[in-house]
Amino acid sequence: MKQTLTNSIALIAVAGPPGSGKTTWITQFLRDPQRPLFYCCPGMGSGSVDQAQIAYRFPGVHLLPEHQTPQIFADLPAQALVYLELGFHLDLTSPSLASLPCQRVAVLPAGLKESDWHDWADEVIPGNDLTVPAPNNLPELWRSPLTGQVFDAPSLDELLIELTGGAYGQVQRVKGIFELPDGRAFLVDFAEGLPGIAYTELNIPRWLEGRPDRFSGIEVVGWNLERATIAQTLLAGCLSEGAIAHHQEQYKSLISSETDQAETILA
Amino acid sequence: MKLAVISCIHGNYEALNTVLADIDAQQAEQIYCLGDLVGYGPHPNAVVELIRSLDIPTCQGCWDEDIVEGLNACECSYPSQLAEKRGHIAHEWTNNVIHPEVREYLATLPMTLRLDNLCFVHGSPHSQHEYLLPSMDGFTALERVLSANAEVLFCGHTHVPYVRNLEDGNLGIRVQQPGQDESIAQVQIPLKRIINAGSVGEPRHGRPNATYVLYDTDTAQVSLREVPYNYQKTCADIIAKGLPPIFAWRLARGMEFAERADDPSHVCQR
Repeated sequence: MKQTLTNSIALIAVAGPPGSGKTTWITQFLRDPQRPLFYCCPGMGSGSVDQAQIAYRFPGVHLLPEHQTPQIFADLPAQALVYLELGFHLDLTSPSLASLPCQRVAVLPAGLKESDWHDWADEVIPGNDLTVPAPNNLPELWRSPLTGQVFDAPSLDELLIELTGGAYGQVQRVKGIFELPDGRAFLVDFAEGLPGIAYTELNIPRWLEGRPDRFSGIEVVGWNLERATIAQTLLAGCLSEGAIAHHQEQYKSLISSETDQAETILA
Repeated sequence: MKLAVISCIHGNYEALNTVLADIDAQQAEQIYCLGDLVGYGPHPNAVVELIRSLDIPTCQGCWDEDIVEGLNACECSYPSQLAEKRGHIAHEWTNNVIHPEVREYLATLPMTLRLDNLCFVHGSPHSQHEYLLPSMDGFTALERVLSANAEVLFCGHTHVPYVRNLEDGNLGIRVQQPGQDESIAQVQIPLKRIINAGSVGEPRHGRPNATYVLYDTDTAQVSLREVPYNYQKTCADIIAKGLPPIFAWRLARGMEFAERADDPSHVCQR
């Protein structure tokens, strides 16, 4: 049974190593319109890829700012269901997390039989079977906002192959939201040990008027990351103002001619 | 006579040395080189000097041409904006270190070489920049061989070796002119071949090994050779010379991506 903040508000904290499937496990419940749904990813500030993808994919879910958490919890509506995604970088025994009246769910590789997560959790969910970093060798997290940047698609592809292949340090996890010149935005997901790099088109309107004014960004988890080189390579794959305008005009004209054709057929 | 055909060395002295030793072991009597002696790799001068010292007939590759005439490719040259920026870094670096006499030598290289019914080019008979990919439309491929007036066309540039046989070529030609009966002609074209030598110094086949081709002019037998070499040394030299470390990373994985080799229908407009 879920522990509750009040009689009607439920808080579910989800923890696990990077790539185990925490966000995936949470998202299966976010289509439920029965209760007001809330999501928070503490420690990641406002520029979190997970937070943004939840907002894009589940517009009915409310995002909770992480600061002033007690006040926010107090103001939640009745029947609210809150998912708290706890990254690997958070100390689960810290007073603020340990004192939260919540149900604790750990999403863990099936092969992992003993860990701090096991000790912490009320419930263990089998997740992706990945190698879990040793507690004394935790990976670093590098993140960069990319809002306003539009990528040359083949360059992005090359960059991600190199990044996930270890060209800029040992990478365990990559998550990102990237804008393409045809106005579409993609969620990119990679976890070491799982096959390939997943590209998921986000179901949001095409942005065809200048630089996109909506969140995009990247998060990389790994060891010995060459941060400056990653940043330079990302920038080398970003399109100039002129190139963005050129592509957007092309796509607008393509969309317009397809619309005209469709109207002609209907007529 | 047993020929060895090498291509796309790209300043990789270590790979060239190993391939030459393998050619020696295979007892080839003559070597032909299809160009791209320089670019990306750390030893452009040494590679050219070795080729010259052995008096190997060589045609001019697109990178050799760029070092002589400056960058002037059409939009086909790079598969991505990222690759283009890296290509420019490689070009600038090579341009700065190349010796004057090496540049002069590169300027003298011919577009094509011939030996009886064999023709040797870097990209295609039309351009050093054009790719003859194995998936290229059959008619277009046949036209390229016919335009070279050859039975066998040797090319490089794609960095992936292959042999393509163009068999049973049969062209029907109908000509209609005012006031004259239609003329009809059938042209039977005997077997033609395109043989791509791959790349000695910048492989793109997913492994770091150098590739080249052996061809027997008496039996028309082709052998695609894949030769391991000390690529770690080339990688270390790339970094030591101040070229981008990503060049070494890609070289070690056979992931070179110098130019656009993924569009078989593209005709270079340079």
